[in-house]
Amino acid sequence: MSNPPLLEVEGLTVEFETYGGVVKAVRGVDFTVEAGEVMAIVGESGCGKSVTVQSLMGIIPMPPGRITAGSARLNGAELLGLEPRAANAFRGKEIGMIFQDPMTSLNPTMTIGDQIAETLKVHRGIPGQQAFESAIKLLEMTHIPEARKRATQYPFEFSGGMLQRAMIAQSLACSPSLLIADEPTTALDVTIQAQLLDLTNTLQAQDAMAVILITHDLAVVARTAQKVCVMYAGQIIEHGSVDDIFYQSAHPYTLGLKSAMPSNIGDREKSLDPIPGSPPDLFSPPLGCGYAPRCPHAMRVCHEENPPFFKDSNNTGHATRCWLQAPNAPSVPELYQSNKIASDGA
Amino acid sequence: MFRYTLGRLLSGVITVWFIATATFLAMHAVPGDPLMNEKATTAEIRENLARKYGLDRPLPEQYVIYLSNMIQGDFGISFTQQNRRVNDIIKDHFPVSAALGILAITFAALGGILWGAITALYRNQLPDIIIMFLVILGISVPSFVFAALGQLLLVNLNQWFGTSILPVAGWGTFSHMLMPSLVLGLGTMALLTRLMRSSMLEVVNEDFIKTAKAKGLSPQRIFFKHQLRNAILPVVTVLGPQIAAITTGGFVVELVFAIPGLGRYFVQAVQQLDYTVIMGTTVFYGAFLVLMVILVDIIYGFIDPRVRLK
Repeated sequence: MSNPPLLEVEGLTVEFETYGGVVKAVRGVDFTVEAGEVMAIVGESGCGKSVTVQSLMGIIPMPPGRITAGSARLNGAELLGLEPRAANAFRGKEIGMIFQDPMTSLNPTMTIGDQIAETLKVHRGIPGQQAFESAIKLLEMTHIPEARKRATQYPFEFSGGMLQRAMIAQSLACSPSLLIADEPTTALDVTIQAQLLDLTNTLQAQDAMAVILITHDLAVVARTAQKVCVMYAGQIIEHGSVDDIFYQSAHPYTLGLKSAMPSNIGDREKSLDPIPGSPPDLFSPPLGCGYAPRCPHAMRVCHEENPPFFKDSNNTGHATRCWLQAPNAPSVPELYQSNKIASDGA
Repeated sequence: MFRYTLGRLLSGVITVWFIATATFLAMHAVPGDPLMNEKATTAEIRENLARKYGLDRPLPEQYVIYLSNMIQGDFGISFTQQNRRVNDIIKDHFPVSAALGILAITFAALGGILWGAITALYRNQLPDIIIMFLVILGISVPSFVFAALGQLLLVNLNQWFGTSILPVAGWGTFSHMLMPSLVLGLGTMALLTRLMRSSMLEVVNEDFIKTAKAKGLSPQRIFFKHQLRNAILPVVTVLGPQIAAITTGGFVVELVFAIPGLGRYFVQAVQQLDYTVIMGTTVFYGAFLVLMVILVDIIYGFIDPRVRLK
């Protein structure tokens, strides 16, 4: 630990006040991102991935949203609870962000070039024409053909993939040290996805920029990330290197996600195994592990007490919030046996 | 853009022709005729008059004459106002209505956009609640009530200051126009406020506003550069018909404030079945409405590139 991490998030807790009650969307999330590293956050819809990163940027609607606890430090400077003016000193400058749906994420009545140039004008004080020239260079950098002509066009004249390239160009305008990509390829088809991921990888490597990639697509994670956080019901339930998560998966939820993933290697007739049930109601989060009701290996303690992180014995930073990883926990074969006996008896 | 404008103009001409035909047919379908009001007419005099105005000819022939005169810009002579040409009536009185209407729509548009933006900014807070209450009043109270109240206010103000701040009624100077145009524009202002408010609230939740925030833009910049322009589009859309409605529908306000506008002649003509005046003013108003809608469409193209370039 020679250098402090680029981004350090501790105990982030976010709630939303709704008519139905208080939704505890993010329940104490910790993670760190080192400079130049790609970290993926995976999890199913509604698990709090987007809320986590959007609260870092200060762009969750408040009210109804509120950050009730936690801190997030970028190079040691606190990000949470800033006044808009102070927050704007890093938004778009130190941290760039791309969104899920490029079709709606750009202003329909402003040219692409102007929208990219705007970031440069605001943060760098670059005058209009010069900022527009830089915008054209940024578009060229993201491999948009005829960038000069394209810069004078409006979002409706772009295809989805082109728009996402423009979004990337816009978010990279001020060479941020961190790029947050909130499901950047979900709305796009697979070919475009691959192109964009390659593009982001190249640009990330060029500038040694760190990336937080939010996705529910494990294939995307395997392709791009070095570190992975798996989120479930507002908490990180497993984190570690991409190899740890894929080959040493320790949490039953991670295993469930993996077996629900299609593969083109091996038996094509094999059906996908969806995880039965649905995530818990975050109006009243469960006492124990959020996954326990869906978990095939759940024990009594899982329903009663939320597990802490148990570190992997390899000491690679791989840790799992699961009682099965506790030193005194029964091994899975034992459990399997006892479950089988129980179900046979019933 | 040129082709777009040309296309709109062409369809406008067809619309006006349609209005002209419909008016002609509807008027002749109404029982009675303009000569029935003539006192002490013998059959002979009636026949002479009918011949003079061409009413003795078959309907298709009348229609052709009417249409060909109209194309040459001649709306004929009034039946009830001796020897007064319809063109002269329009020429004398329409500028008055138009001036009043333009000022009214200016009040309405500026007020509507301003109040709408304010209510959206202060959503569910005191300014919003107060303005939205006034908006309901503005929409539901008819204009003649506002007209009378406006006059009462002016009378009291003038008495208070002991001098004539603004004239209570009449026509002639710019100060004569202020109160009636405000009264005339009030309903539209209320309507536009509501429209602007809902449109602003819709735009606030758009993804691109989130993007703008994530870019680190100041709230002022987001408001003016990203929110306002996109929110104004639906307001501009209804502006065309509203301009026409205000300019043509102002006759009650014109009556209360004793303004010599075209509205009065229009209503009078209908009551007296003054064929030429009805047809002339209706077609004129129709053409005006069509022109305003086209004008707004063109303005819309400047605001929204999606309209301009497609």
